[in-house]
Amino acid sequence: MRTMLKGSMLALGFAALAATTAPAQEATFVMTARLVGAPTYNPIKATKLNTATTLIFDRLVVQDADQSFHGQLAHSWESSPDGLQWTFRLKPGVKFHNGEPFNARTVAWWVPQFKGSENAFTVEAIERVEVVDDLTVRFHMKHPDPNLLFNLASSFMCIPEPKAYEALGDKFGVTEAIGTGPYRMQQFTVGQQTVLVRNDDYAWAADLSKNQGPARFKKLTFREIAEESTAYLELKTGGADLLVNVPTDFLPRIQADKAVKLVTFPGNELVYMPINTSVEPFTDRKVREATAFAVNQKEILASLYGGNGAVADTFLISSLKEAQVEPKFRIAYDPERSKRLFDEAGWKPGPDGVRVKDGKRLAVKLWTQNGTEFKRLVEIVQAQLKAVGMQAEISIIDAGSINAQYRKKTEHQLAIRSYQWANADIVDWFFAAKRAGYPNVSMFNDPEAERLNDIAMNKSKTWDERVANFTRYHEYVLSQYPFAPIYQPVQSLAYGKRIVMPEKIRGMGLYSPTLLDIAPAN
Amino acid sequence: MLRFAIRRLAMLVPVFLAVSLVIFMIVHLVPGDPLEHLVQVGSSPEQRAQMIARYGLDQPLLLQYGRWLAKVAGGDLGDAIVMRQPVAQLIIENLPHSLALGGTALLFSTTVGIVTGVLAASFRDSLFDRAVMGFILLGSTLPSFWLALLMILVFAVQFEWFPVSGARSWDALVLPALTIGIGGTALIARVTRAAMVEIAGRDFVRVLQAKGLSFWRIQLRHVLQQALLPVMTILGLRIGWILGGAVTVEYVFARPGLGSLLITALGQRDYPLVQGCLLMLAIAVMLGTLLGDLAQVALDPRLRETMGAR
Repeated sequence: MRTMLKGSMLALGFAALAATTAPAQEATFVMTARLVGAPTYNPIKATKLNTATTLIFDRLVVQDADQSFHGQLAHSWESSPDGLQWTFRLKPGVKFHNGEPFNARTVAWWVPQFKGSENAFTVEAIERVEVVDDLTVRFHMKHPDPNLLFNLASSFMCIPEPKAYEALGDKFGVTEAIGTGPYRMQQFTVGQQTVLVRNDDYAWAADLSKNQGPARFKKLTFREIAEESTAYLELKTGGADLLVNVPTDFLPRIQADKAVKLVTFPGNELVYMPINTSVEPFTDRKVREATAFAVNQKEILASLYGGNGAVADTFLISSLKEAQVEPKFRIAYDPERSKRLFDEAGWKPGPDGVRVKDGKRLAVKLWTQNGTEFKRLVEIVQAQLKAVGMQAEISIIDAGSINAQYRKKTEHQLAIRSYQWANADIVDWFFAAKRAGYPNVSMFNDPEAERLNDIAMNKSKTWDERVANFTRYHEYVLSQYPFAPIYQPVQSLAYGKRIVMPEKIRGMGLYSPTLLDIAPAN
Repeated sequence: MLRFAIRRLAMLVPVFLAVSLVIFMIVHLVPGDPLEHLVQVGSSPEQRAQMIARYGLDQPLLLQYGRWLAKVAGGDLGDAIVMRQPVAQLIIENLPHSLALGGTALLFSTTVGIVTGVLAASFRDSLFDRAVMGFILLGSTLPSFWLALLMILVFAVQFEWFPVSGARSWDALVLPALTIGIGGTALIARVTRAAMVEIAGRDFVRVLQAKGLSFWRIQLRHVLQQALLPVMTILGLRIGWILGGAVTVEYVFARPGLGSLLITALGQRDYPLVQGCLLMLAIAVMLGTLLGDLAQVALDPRLRETMGAR
């Protein structure tokens, strides 16, 4: 009897020990700032999606940080020499969360769904989709589109299950979201949280993930916390296991905190200063050039961002091939060049240090949107411009109103802003004459730039050709100084002791390829 | 009393129309539009123009107002442009959270405010009076953003008594309700105290004292009843405030609610949603005022005549 009791107690003890040392099956991730407020998980109709989207759905292809493409639902693909056909071979055995099979007919149904939606431009070049066999699909193109893979790798190109999509209508992505991803959506409260449970059948991850099977965590809760201090305190107190996208302002605080770990990796954001080329004194190219070379990017990186990130010296993030321009086109701080150019343009130093030309002082308007980071940055740039004799008057404008102000076209002169995009066609978005005002805040309208834009956007047949054409277009824009590049932020995430991160973040951010490899700590 | 209530309710109709027009015009005249959140990189200016037409934003403002008002009259607040959901549904989802938070905060501030006000008036000019009123004044002057973070740091991070944020359990309601409640407590305590002091100096109180009634019986039974009249007015006005006035606190504590919804909608210039939220808050303020008036009349029937309830 005593032995039995002893044995039972020992077993209970081991069980208790096992319970306390067993890896956690659930984790809570916190999304903050820009990731907050996605109203739906309907990838076709949404204009804003968050991190959890790529766990619910899969895409045909995914993109890595080095800009290479990897199959997710597609096994392989090829383009015809004339660029008018793309053939995708799909992975076998893929099933949606509701048991429906994923195959070529799914893709043929999916592409036309974009018609009339805000995301229609992503498939605009596709004329029709041909089902070759159950696992082979062919896109017939209206014109060659070497950017097709980039578009297909977008989160908006996640593939939903056709029957559920049609049955649920506008409720798809809100009450239910059926995809092929490593997690099923269990519950979604807009602006609050999304609860995901593991898809135990998952076995078709992209080769970016080491884990090719089901996810490590049984359940993931993605909470949305807009206030960054609160999000950080949740992580610190153990209320959250991972903070997605740590705001740059918080990096020093988190680096000093021993309770949490920080991972940084290259981002796809670039901070810059558009220069309104349509208003005085910036109609003069020399004045634009002088202004661009007055911005000390290294000082900003060190003083404002504590060295996290990288300086920007072109309009594109460094990982893009089109950012590899000839050295003479790069825009890096050179105060002597700046002063010489101002002198050449007729702007001579006045008695109070501010330059003067024909009795007029070099006083300009410098705009930015509200937000701590922008406010600090604009003050530093103001001081740097003052050092070369330009007086900049700062205006802080509500983020929701500032684009409408840009559309007035002649109210602004300089501005501090940023964009997030990992494709060279962002040069078209911000500098094409047809978009003057906003997004072409620089009001850039140059015949040669328009010609090079047309070649880059419409005449490229292959990816290499597109890279070469966009590099030429980018170099020309740089040579006209419609902006000053400033800074490339890093992407960062912070996590607590209950989870183990993979050695390397794969993909263009924290998406399913990396999330599949995150594991509970032992 | 019923006739009084009906008359006051009827008076709200023109107020409602005026408020709806002001709301609509202000929302639409502020620079910016919801399309900034819908237009994707790569789309053409023509696609933007098509979207403007699709949402009827190219129509004259008065025509847009007329259409919206007609829908509202039919009980339809329309669909949110950016959120892509019916406005009424979004409001219904968020309303219980606002009511729970605002109701708890109002209950706290009313109870503590009246008790503190009565005690301060009863021990007028004493050390207790000065200390309590000074402490309350300090609490009410602290910015709610700062106070909210302080609450989190002390009670959630340091003592770990309550969760840092969210609305997933009852205890997550405590810190945000306290943060809001402290501000309301100061107001109610000060009004209660001032009214009690003023009423305590009236002739009928001296008559009661001469009759030999105890100090506390006079204070609680007679003086407090009269002093509650201005408190009722304040409470009526605060009903609207508790629905939409907790914006900062909801934001810091990452709680859902009408305030958060309104801020999100404003940031996105989501016209139908902003209009729907503001209209709800305006209705709450109007009804709150009405309830306050009704409560005052119930407490003091003499007011029926002065308020036109004949």
